[in-house]
Amino acid sequence: MAGRLEGRKALVVGAAGADNMGQVIARRFAAEGAKVAVAGRNRAALDAIAGEIAGVAVECDFSERASIFAMVDAAKTSLGGLDIAVNATGWGLLKPFLETTEEEIDKIYALQLRGPFQFLQALIPAMEEKGGSIIQISSATATILFHDHDAYMATKAGTDHLVRSVANQFGDKGIRVNSISPGVTETPMTADAAAVPGVMDAFVKGYPLGRYGTSEDIAAGCVWLASDECFMTGQNLQVNGGLTLRANPSKADIEASVVAAMAAA
Amino acid sequence: MARLDGKVAIILGASDPRSMGAATARRFAEEGAKLVLAARRKDAVADVAGPLGATAVACDITNEDDLIALAKAAVDTYGKLDIAINYAGIEGGAPVIETTAEMLRQQADVHFVGTGLFIKQMALAMKDGGSIITASSLTVLVQAPGQGAYAGSKGGADVLVKVAANELGERGIRVNSLAPGFTKSAMTDAYFAMEPVTRAFLKEMPLGRFPTVEDIAHCALWLASDEAFVTGQRIDVTAGQALRRTPRADEFA
Repeated sequence: MAGRLEGRKALVVGAAGADNMGQVIARRFAAEGAKVAVAGRNRAALDAIAGEIAGVAVECDFSERASIFAMVDAAKTSLGGLDIAVNATGWGLLKPFLETTEEEIDKIYALQLRGPFQFLQALIPAMEEKGGSIIQISSATATILFHDHDAYMATKAGTDHLVRSVANQFGDKGIRVNSISPGVTETPMTADAAAVPGVMDAFVKGYPLGRYGTSEDIAAGCVWLASDECFMTGQNLQVNGGLTLRANPSKADIEASVVAAMAAA
Repeated sequence: MARLDGKVAIILGASDPRSMGAATARRFAEEGAKLVLAARRKDAVADVAGPLGATAVACDITNEDDLIALAKAAVDTYGKLDIAINYAGIEGGAPVIETTAEMLRQQADVHFVGTGLFIKQMALAMKDGGSIITASSLTVLVQAPGQGAYAGSKGGADVLVKVAANELGERGIRVNSLAPGFTKSAMTDAYFAMEPVTRAFLKEMPLGRFPTVEDIAHCALWLASDEAFVTGQRIDVTAGQALRRTPRADEFA
């Protein structure tokens, strides 16, 4: 049976960490029949995933404009076209608002707002002849709050609005642009926090569906947005089991959950 | 394996072969679902159901007994209920200062009360989780003069969807709404017959074409499938018109 992305050419940036969200998305795209370019900073990790899915590895520093443009160019050239692009990069900075440094603000702005902005600037010319689907991985925290996450939340929310504007401007080229908002997800980015007993338990209460998300959930959302069957553009899709209907745990909730887990151990 | 193999779905509002309901039924049948199709007119929905091997049931969404019977038909015929989609809707427009109590009640009865009862009865029949989808509207997203009663009743239902999703998650039931844009369908023939209207609307669609009933069906398939870790959301299939506006009546000249 033909895959849902048969013959499509896809670029996934943020796929240079073992089993991170970008890699899970890249694997799913390949399983659906797409030819995939994986991009990120770690060459060895990129080569590993590219080898696994018979894809192409492209090195990219998402904080550098020239690197982003070169990545899009290299991906399009090596794949023989570009129909789908996903930005799954991110930096999960946790820092109290008053303690967040200028250096941290600059770094997260470069990765989570300037980078996506320039990625879109590079993608539009690359896709405008044949159209395509662009997917920005956002966050539920662009909608609902989380403690010590101000710089992260603000840049994610800013990029969601950029997605709407770019979708509005380039729909006539057949380019659809959407974002997906995961909630807390077990990934290498959250592994350290998730390893502390009680932490993830505190999150589960926020999920009407009774579990937090997986990278596979996000990959499934990406397949939908990427496929030709999808006639959506300019939207922020909440793929988080209803988390935005409730809330993330507060810092005190998490601390209490950790204490309870320790007491139970 | 097809995407809805082993699933049992109810689709309400499928009496016209060119409706969103009928398009969704065709798509779901391709994907292996067992179907119960419903509408007020049983003879009409039977014509759509026949070629698909689906069961046809008469149902008026404003009547809770009808909804109970509809859910029961799925469970009695196919043993369970996994997916329930409501496209039942009525038109009706007037400026707010000309809108009568009767017009408000009529819209609210179908789109708000009906949707609430639909969610309730479908959820009660779902014993092992499921997906409930109800049609919202572009008019909830961008203001359309003259559509106060219609948009208000649809918007109210969207809020109801969120509350239901929050409550029903623990039963493994997802509840979402799907907002079609200005879609070429059985319900919009009169508008599509007016070239100045279609021209004005098309200008407000970034994707440059009207949504089709098939576009809506594809989205319903995604929301219905177990792959969608999504609940309490309104998903818009508007060709991007939600990013812009509804044309004013004086642009239809």
